[in-house]
Amino acid sequence: MIEDLGIKAAFASITGQALLKALLVIVIASLITVAVQKVLPRIAEKLGGKPRLYLLASVPLLRLLIILATIVIVAPILVEPSFENMVAIFGALALALGFAFKDYANSLIAGIVTLYEMPYRPGDWIEVDGQYGVVRAIGTRAAEIVTPDDTVVIIPHNKLWNSLIANGNDGTDNLMCVADFHLEANHDVSRVRELLRDVAFTSPRTKTWQPVLVIVFNKPWGMHYRLKAYPFDPKEQFQFISELTARGSAELARQGVKFVSVPVSVS
Amino acid sequence: MTDKTNDNIADSCLPGGLIPAEQWAQPQTSVQRSLKDAVRHVLTQLQAGVSQAEDPFESMDDLPELSGVQQSRLAPEPDYSRQAEAIACALKQARSEGALSREVVCLVAPPFSGLQQALGRFPEIGKPGVADSDAEGWNIIEPPHTLSFSDHDAGKWWDGRDLSRPWVIPELADFWLRSLSGLALVRELFRRVANGDTGPGIVGCSSWCWRYWGHYLENAQMSPWTPAAMDAERLGVWFSHLASGSGKSPVVARMTGDGLYVLPPAEGAEVEKTKGRKKRKYSTFLRDLAATSRGNPGVALAIWQRSLRARPDDDTKLEEADDKSNTRSKAADCWVVPLGRLSLPSMPQSKESVTGFVLHGLLLHNGLDMDSLEAVTGVSTYELSLVLSRLKRAELVTCDQPGGRWQVTPIGYPTVRRHLQSWGFPLDQF
Repeated sequence: MIEDLGIKAAFASITGQALLKALLVIVIASLITVAVQKVLPRIAEKLGGKPRLYLLASVPLLRLLIILATIVIVAPILVEPSFENMVAIFGALALALGFAFKDYANSLIAGIVTLYEMPYRPGDWIEVDGQYGVVRAIGTRAAEIVTPDDTVVIIPHNKLWNSLIANGNDGTDNLMCVADFHLEANHDVSRVRELLRDVAFTSPRTKTWQPVLVIVFNKPWGMHYRLKAYPFDPKEQFQFISELTARGSAELARQGVKFVSVPVSVS
Repeated sequence: MTDKTNDNIADSCLPGGLIPAEQWAQPQTSVQRSLKDAVRHVLTQLQAGVSQAEDPFESMDDLPELSGVQQSRLAPEPDYSRQAEAIACALKQARSEGALSREVVCLVAPPFSGLQQALGRFPEIGKPGVADSDAEGWNIIEPPHTLSFSDHDAGKWWDGRDLSRPWVIPELADFWLRSLSGLALVRELFRRVANGDTGPGIVGCSSWCWRYWGHYLENAQMSPWTPAAMDAERLGVWFSHLASGSGKSPVVARMTGDGLYVLPPAEGAEVEKTKGRKKRKYSTFLRDLAATSRGNPGVALAIWQRSLRARPDDDTKLEEADDKSNTRSKAADCWVVPLGRLSLPSMPQSKESVTGFVLHGLLLHNGLDMDSLEAVTGVSTYELSLVLSRLKRAELVTCDQPGGRWQVTPIGYPTVRRHLQSWGFPLDQF
């Protein structure tokens, strides 16, 4: 079987020296990859705003480039780069991957797809299968997200094929936050909307050049208000929502507007 | 004759005059300079925490900085009364040309532009002997001591102010606080202005405050005016005017490194002098300064004052030169340190959100005392005092002792603005 594919002939020219040389290249490439993965995110953390996002997004791209460059350098060292040899090696590789590492290969290919489709980038706040968090790193096979509770969740890239991926900021530093207020009926709706808008505008965390919206729904149990605004930094989202909720609640209570006091199931 | 005099005042005190805010353009600089600034900014951010140096400034050369006497002679603070005349003159001209038709004019300028101080001197304009003698007396509207008002109380407060005769608000930022009960006064003022319930007036406003209210009152179209940005040419005219405006001899400033001239020669003087001499070579310092300060005269002046150097024996010579100023016997020389060698204040390492809240709050309100700062930022007094003392050591903020009012320093403003931009805070348009 191996002879039929011509693999034996392809590897016939491999010498000990060539193996060492290839190993050296692979080790150097691995070191560069590790350095890129460690250093760039650290630098990015020190920078704010868009430069941070761009730098984080460049990490997986750089790693892909390093891997491709390593393959291009190592292959000619090990085998003579003739057409027959290449067909033989890649044919065997495809066979092995197809049978033994189907899911792994699936994730690898999805990983490459994520690099140009960019459904998520490092620094994005995403939700996949009910898990919400910030993308910390994009690996070859999987992405790592960190949840607000500081738990790392590994998400294989092949989720891309059949899962819904929600991205809160999509490569930018604009992430809309929503603070909900469930109020009893029979109050001045326009006054409450104005007041909640002021709550957002007077928060030091608000990006005032982005829209500040107050949406109201009439529900059987009362009125449901949704205050939507953008924090100056997506990392501040939970502080921001907490602050809007606390200050909004305090002011509504001061104005005599009551919250609903029975358990409510929000669908 | 009066018009010509007014034009001269406007040219030297307010170079570029007043323009509609949407026509404002930042002074251009070379690509090399922009790249240098960007790299320096990134390095500063990266070095935060690595370098523990707390000293914001270190003289990069052997020449001594200017003494108080020298500074008041070579780079004094501007005369705001003359600036007020120049603004009044520019407004009058805009009205006569039909470019300005509103009863209430909004003048917006970045912090340290001197607009607030100039507008504060508007009541002096109508007095006898002053250029604009046909102007009516201006009534300054002072802010209340407390800024927490309900909508009803805000209406009553404005009812108590006389807005029927010409009025002026030197700084709108003094009339509000970024808190739920602190918005009512400005909201009510804009409502009255939009309804035409007031007489002719001028609202001076810091650009940061204006941007906030522009977002808050999204449908208000106030078409503000602003002083034109100070480019290299205007800075040259202005610095020369400041140094020699009161009849003293013109100042000759040269770069410490290459000896190139910085300030343009005084009008008239250069024509006769350059006839028989070689043409002077000028440095790009003013162009770089205009770009660094984003055309902001107060910031440019602060950096200019910082960059000037004198020989140790120049103090006495300057005094002599002042004595002989009537005979124009001697031009006073001073030396200018290149911007690249000048160490401007840098941002200390700290929790960026709290530092950002403090600095942004100070710029929005044109300075605040500790209690107001706490109300606006939600940061506790204890933490505020830690942050403010650190920023003060870094020369980014300063505190006026009598009122305990904290403010961003003019020389720290470029750094503060750039960092707020990096951190994602809303900025002004200038």
